Amino acid sequence: MTLTRRKVLQAGLYGIGIGATSVLPLPPLFARTARALAPQTAADGRILVVLELSGGNDGLNTVVPYGDDAYYRHRPKIGIRPNRVRKIDEHFGFSSGMAGFERLYKDGKLAIAHGCGYANPSFSHFTSMAYWHTAAPNRGDEYGWVGRLADAVAPQAPSNYLVNIDARQSMAVRSKLHTPLVFDDPNKFTREGFYEERDVFAQVADAGNVENSSRRFLLDLARSAKSASALVKEAWANYKSPVDYGITGLDLPKVAALISAGMPTRLYYVSYRNNAFDTHVFQGDLHQRLLTYTSDAVAAFMTDLERLGRANDVVVMMFSEFGRRVPENSNLGTDHGAANVMFVAGKNVKGGHYGKLPSLTQLDDGDNLVYTTDFRQVYATMISGWLGSEASAAVLNGTFEPFDMFA
Amino acid sequence: MPQRSTRWENDLASIAPSDWNYDFAAHFLERAGFGGTPEEIEALARLSPAEAVRRLVYFQNIENVLPPFDHSGIHDPGLEPFPESRPAVTKMAKEKGEALGIKVKAGGDRPLQPIVNKFFFWLRASVLETQRVAYWWGNRMLATRRPLEEKMALFWHGHFAVNEAKVRDYRKTLGQLELFHKYGTGNFRDLLVAVAQDPAMLSFLDAGVNVKGSANENFAREIMELFTMGVGNYSEKDVREAARAFTGWNYVDLKFVVNKDQHDDSQKTFLGATGNFDGVDVIDIILKQPATSRFIAGKIYRYFVRQELTSEVQDNLGTMLRASNYNVAPLLETIFLSRDFYSSASVGTQIKSPVQLAISTYKKLGLTEVPGVPDFNIATGTLGQRLFAPPTVAGWSGGRSWMTPGLLLERGNFVRDVLFPDINFIPPDRANPSSDIRIVAEKVRAGQDISTATMPERGSEGGLAESNMLADRDEDFNTRYGSFRGWQMALERVKPIPRQTADINLTKMAVEAGLKNTTEAVDYFIRRFMRVPPADEKRQTLSSFLNMQLGTSDLSVAKTYMEDSLRLVLHLLLSEPEYQLS
Repeated sequence: MTLTRRKVLQAGLYGIGIGATSVLPLPPLFARTARALAPQTAADGRILVVLELSGGNDGLNTVVPYGDDAYYRHRPKIGIRPNRVRKIDEHFGFSSGMAGFERLYKDGKLAIAHGCGYANPSFSHFTSMAYWHTAAPNRGDEYGWVGRLADAVAPQAPSNYLVNIDARQSMAVRSKLHTPLVFDDPNKFTREGFYEERDVFAQVADAGNVENSSRRFLLDLARSAKSASALVKEAWANYKSPVDYGITGLDLPKVAALISAGMPTRLYYVSYRNNAFDTHVFQGDLHQRLLTYTSDAVAAFMTDLERLGRANDVVVMMFSEFGRRVPENSNLGTDHGAANVMFVAGKNVKGGHYGKLPSLTQLDDGDNLVYTTDFRQVYATMISGWLGSEASAAVLNGTFEPFDMFA
Repeated sequence: MPQRSTRWENDLASIAPSDWNYDFAAHFLERAGFGGTPEEIEALARLSPAEAVRRLVYFQNIENVLPPFDHSGIHDPGLEPFPESRPAVTKMAKEKGEALGIKVKAGGDRPLQPIVNKFFFWLRASVLETQRVAYWWGNRMLATRRPLEEKMALFWHGHFAVNEAKVRDYRKTLGQLELFHKYGTGNFRDLLVAVAQDPAMLSFLDAGVNVKGSANENFAREIMELFTMGVGNYSEKDVREAARAFTGWNYVDLKFVVNKDQHDDSQKTFLGATGNFDGVDVIDIILKQPATSRFIAGKIYRYFVRQELTSEVQDNLGTMLRASNYNVAPLLETIFLSRDFYSSASVGTQIKSPVQLAISTYKKLGLTEVPGVPDFNIATGTLGQRLFAPPTVAGWSGGRSWMTPGLLLERGNFVRDVLFPDINFIPPDRANPSSDIRIVAEKVRAGQDISTATMPERGSEGGLAESNMLADRDEDFNTRYGSFRGWQMALERVKPIPRQTADINLTKMAVEAGLKNTTEAVDYFIRRFMRVPPADEKRQTLSSFLNMQLGTSDLSVAKTYMEDSLRLVLHLLLSEPEYQLS
């Protein structure tokens, strides 16, 4: 699905999606329609994978607006020349290493949401990340939005519904009812004990009629750990894929392994860790590599899912805590910015551009893109459009108009 | 627990002397400190509850001979003011002909190289020294005779959460800890003003860029949202007005300064009051708000008692804190004497924080020093609470968020690492750093020139560090070489962390306790280490396990060879979910 700039403009767009308004009460009729169109939650096995690109990905050098002269005026040195971008239409092209994204886009499996952000943006990594994690900008919440989503969609909290692959639990998956399964290295997600101890460790007490709720919580956790660690280890041991995920894989092979093993998980959370995208200095080669790895890994994941026969069941949503300053800095890099692109990839995704394009000439006082899409609209799209839940407003503490993003 | 304890829930009235016993004293010591040995608990149990609580809360007269932090001596005045980034350092060097106390070379290759080396030296040295500060603090927690002083300091560290990774100066984080020790149970206003004017917080929340005409709201927002009132009790306009009042607050090295010309000296309207306020005025207006005392009292309660508290209890505690003019000690005294604190809703329902888990395990093992193996920082960090590295400015969330299935297993693995130290242990403060630096080191030692030695290798990219290491034009200086050389210099200058293993003798413990058989041994361990015993079935399993390991149930027969088996059984026991409860 390739859109020429003219077609894009004719479509009135940059809004196949809905545009700038962020918090709109959903008209009852629309709500009904959306519900009628929405897939039924309980019956199907739809899976959402959230991929966090930590550090603040430079969206302008990812989806390059090579058709806009203003881009090159802001970035005379680090702007990517038209002859080096992977053009997807007359206006945009991907950074040169992103063959994987280019293919996904041209196959109509990649949605690009433009101008995603929120009012009064924070330029602190962790403050802004916390806003994205909790879907509560300038406020925060005790639980993460993915955790709240799990609570809303599966209040009976079946085990292993929510998996977070990382060294520590992300705030995004913090849940009131669920015990997110958090592990990093599948080979190390295991009880380290001696041979003699095995039988005793195998015995996990039943939480049955325990009154102390903290104790009950821990006993549940212990049982989950025991069963999940065996499952994860086995899933990982049995997973052999011919698909090349590139240099890092971004934990997506682990997700594929769990999906392949038939884990009941519906929500996965992984990240490109350690503030990797924080490209303040000499960003050219580095940023291109980060994008290449990301693009390779996501495209490979899609191929792998196809191989596993699960491509119809999975989408990957990608975000960063902020974009970067529009003008380049004096170190051939970019500083913390505001609005940014988000991506949604999947076989059922209607590829293309969503949201209103932020202006490159009318920046805010800090030379940042003014957001045009509340990022929670994309979250809402995942919640209602993809997972078919009616709990979007409750999960996001407000009504955010979803995009019509799925076939 | 006595039957009555259920009815005590939410009752802030004091318990009676007749209620007081060993279990109550043990519970009190778990929460107000880091648990205790049977001897310490018995000593408290012999007092009246009022005496016991006063002994811990009003600890100022208890003599405490603890060594001060032993600085490695890595700082020198030339490092101040420390620039915000490597590019800022080289820019400063080019402009002034010197930076970080080092002059640009008169000639030769890479004239800025020594300056760049020193920049990386300080970053690394401060990180390593911070690890030593954490060890020093851990040892205080373990050895102190004033456990509440340390427990409260840990509370404030989570409350006024500052991360060394941003402050990049162990002296500032150490200085802030000293404030927590000094004011921790004292007056909250004193503490708040001291913290707000302390370089650690000023640096962490970007005070330096909060100047007249271009106010930065970071500090003003956090002081209201996280440190005093909580969200919902002020408007965005209040944030902006408060930010103006704080303009000009800054620091020079370790000293607080007010830059008068950067201070916005005009009228502000803040929380309904109007005047030419400065930062301290704003703090005093904040302290007048009932929301503040309620917020602080509630947070203290959650830390010491339990996660859930009723609105009524929170109101009462908040009123109490205000009535005492924000003196924290009387509030603590009330909480620790309250029936609510000893009710079944409170006892054995708290999930230990990782630091609490580590320190209380060492304490109950009878250790007087934090072992060097396993590494205290790595162990607590793996479990989610590395000192001086809270995840965000909001500190640690606590409660159930301490635990994941993976972390429950890790907690058991931690106990294993204490009882059976890893013979392949490599000290993380001495070990080779990231592969990039290691490769550069190897190539330089092999005689390669700097440009060749520092060429990036394919596929060696990690995360953040790379973005700052890449692609400098290798003329004035070489960043990757500077990074390597900085690590090397830090290794020379920062004192090593002692790496003794835990001094554990469970055989001696069993003999001194007069234990006769394996059942008694398991029961003794349960009573000594746990506030919530495991299910009876598990207890029996462990006794049988010990029988089988020893070939007898008679400990006098097994005395000469039972150490390893006792350690196995203790590892099994302390891996139980119940051990995570305090």
